Amino acid sequence: MRTQLGQPFSSQSLGDFGVIESVSGCLSPKLDALRGKRIIFSRDDKKLVPHDGWGLKSSHFCGIVTTFTPIHDNTMVAAVDSSCIKMAETEEGSLYAVKCGIATAIDGRALMHFRIGPVLFYLTESSASDSELDDRLAKAVLLDDDMAKRLVRVRSERAVQKELASHLVGSTILVDGSLRGSVFEDSQRSVRKISEDCILRRNTMIGVSKATRFRPLERASGPLLKVPGPAYIDVDVIVKSLIRNSAGSSSMVRLDRSGPVLRADIMGGSNDESLGRLVGNDPISRGYPETLRLAHHISTFTGTEVTCLRSHVLNNYDVTELVADDIRRTLLGSISV
Amino acid sequence: MKILSKDGNELLLLAMKEDSASKGDYMLVEDRRRSMIVQIYDEEYLSSQSLVEDIVKEEVVNASSVESLHDPLNIGILSKLIRDARVFRAKLRASVNGEGRLSSEVAWLPSRVESKVKRLSMAEIDSFLGRTGVFPIPIGKAGDDEDFEIYAEDLDGKLSIITGKKESGKSHLSKVLVKTLVQHGAFVIVFDLNNEYSGLGWNKDRTPSAIHNRIHLLDPGKSLRFKLDYCGKAAISGMLKNALDMPAASLREFFRIWDWLENKQSLGIDAIGNAVNTWNINELVRDALVSRYHVIQSSRLFADDSPGFRFENVISKSGAAGAAIIVSMGNVPPTVRRMVVELVLSKVVDLLERQAIPPIFLFAEEAHLYIRETYWEDIITRMRHFGIYTTFITNQPDAISDGIYRQVDNIFLFNFTNDSDLDKISKVSLVDNDTIRSIVRTLPQRQCLAIGKAVCDLPMVVKVAAADVLTMGETKKFFSKKTS
Repeated sequence: MRTQLGQPFSSQSLGDFGVIESVSGCLSPKLDALRGKRIIFSRDDKKLVPHDGWGLKSSHFCGIVTTFTPIHDNTMVAAVDSSCIKMAETEEGSLYAVKCGIATAIDGRALMHFRIGPVLFYLTESSASDSELDDRLAKAVLLDDDMAKRLVRVRSERAVQKELASHLVGSTILVDGSLRGSVFEDSQRSVRKISEDCILRRNTMIGVSKATRFRPLERASGPLLKVPGPAYIDVDVIVKSLIRNSAGSSSMVRLDRSGPVLRADIMGGSNDESLGRLVGNDPISRGYPETLRLAHHISTFTGTEVTCLRSHVLNNYDVTELVADDIRRTLLGSISV
Repeated sequence: MKILSKDGNELLLLAMKEDSASKGDYMLVEDRRRSMIVQIYDEEYLSSQSLVEDIVKEEVVNASSVESLHDPLNIGILSKLIRDARVFRAKLRASVNGEGRLSSEVAWLPSRVESKVKRLSMAEIDSFLGRTGVFPIPIGKAGDDEDFEIYAEDLDGKLSIITGKKESGKSHLSKVLVKTLVQHGAFVIVFDLNNEYSGLGWNKDRTPSAIHNRIHLLDPGKSLRFKLDYCGKAAISGMLKNALDMPAASLREFFRIWDWLENKQSLGIDAIGNAVNTWNINELVRDALVSRYHVIQSSRLFADDSPGFRFENVISKSGAAGAAIIVSMGNVPPTVRRMVVELVLSKVVDLLERQAIPPIFLFAEEAHLYIRETYWEDIITRMRHFGIYTTFITNQPDAISDGIYRQVDNIFLFNFTNDSDLDKISKVSLVDNDTIRSIVRTLPQRQCLAIGKAVCDLPMVVKVAAADVLTMGETKKFFSKKTS
């Protein structure tokens, strides 16, 4: 230390501090193990999958590939999606806007779509405490924007799903994402309650996930890429072993020969019949149900809508807009390249 | 309306659906004690990449299935308002200082937040400009369907051009001007190429018009015939040289004959014919004289046996009532047309020089077809000082030279869609290129952009009112529409 203090800092190298060794040794790099591996480079933290799968070699799970055929029986397919954005912040809470979209199809043709919203929710301590959430979770929701958005989305989507499940008969309800209970659900509109309605009214509910966080499922779906038509592999065992509150039966499914492998959680019917009805009644484009795609597009916020919502808030709630700064940008600046 | 931005002398104004304004309208931008007068010259949608994407996305979605909307906050209405929002492009024309006086100082920047933008009525514009006169010429409507008039004083001593593409309403406006000038007691000579001004004497219902008795139709060779001595040596010289291209040597011989006959007091068209045949001259010169003599004779413009037409007689008979002398040239061959124009202009200049007649308003339709190139300059410079105030009416703006455009006091611009015509006009007119291109290109029939002294140099879009005179000179058609 004396030596260091005695010398001007500019004449020293990082080696004198031992920083390099310290960083290199904080984890075992194991770069030798990378040699010869097949690789996908990540982009913008997005989930990417290899176009032709990881291959059979990488899979330790030997599921049975089951093919299925489209069933054209005029079953109505109703897909639900939603999106939520944070609109504003006050000293006491935050304002969120949510939009839901329902798209329907029958016999391979789009039927109708419904746009719901935007609807505004102002989350404060009092509204969080009124929302049946556990105290700690309610506090977390107020602190974490992502959790708050999740709360608003889950509640809105479940509300729509519940109404569909209790009004439709013998239909297929498509949901974006997996079917699993959420800590944000309210007791009257939980997945469990919705599944009860589905069973009572002979509806099938299918949760379609575009990507899965579980690598074993990704690996297990490899054989599906070799099948020249709609097929699925039952992965319920893997899913149940990884998640506790999942609902329905989980499969990795390919809806057409050119599409990607999706995860489907099926509730209220057999896999063959449910997937056959889906493929037979919903136009499948690039391996994805068109109703879900449409529901996604009609539920996303456009720039114009955000502008209009701001105008609505300013005009109707007697609020005062404060000048705000992007702290990160102010402090760090930006170097344009 | 709100100000969006200012770039040079251009202001962008944001307008919502209910803000109505049209191209050519004047707006007053008031910022505390100062104001700015701007003119809207173009209109477009408020557009951004995201807005376009939204519209396309919605159309694609709605094309794929039927939509049902539940929008509790009515955000959709606001969204539609944004989609219908427009941007008006406006040019700064003047500013108004605290005392309400116009100035050209427009370098200051009005507040985007506090400025109020309001539409200016014609009365307000006139009051700012101090545009008044004694002899109004109502030519139609402007602004928010308000009556619009120019003043005869704005054409008096001025050079004006009425131009626009075929059937855009040029002749219509010129008839309104001629009729009103005569009503105000002015004397107007019209070179009528299509024999369409004869209808000025009649209303649409075929009853005599207010200037019925003040219309003098001159048909070359019939009602328009001159005595040689009335025309004078100078006018005949101009006619032979410019309309009949007589060489200088032949012209000299012709005037020897003229002088000889004049001394004998036997100057006449037959006498000239006899003299040309018997005069002791070179045969080539004789041939030149004979051929010109035959053209002159066949034109029947000169008469020995009748008193001939005299401008001063018509004008003195009319007194203070004014008159329109319409020279119908529709059925006349091009050479005779040029002869007529040379004779008329030379004689009128001669009369004006001698102050035998008051100043004359000249309306020349497609003048490039009968006025020689070198004469143009003469018309706009020399003749102007004698008292011939010309209005050219043409559908070929490039037929008029830049020199003339630089002297022009008023331009009435009707619709042009052709780029080269617009280029020509925008280069030489008194208004910026953007205004000309945007406004003139979209002008409907019978609407014009008035530029110049008549509108105190603030360009105005005018809907020319329907003239209550009989339409003449319509194109004869083989296939006529069934009227029943």
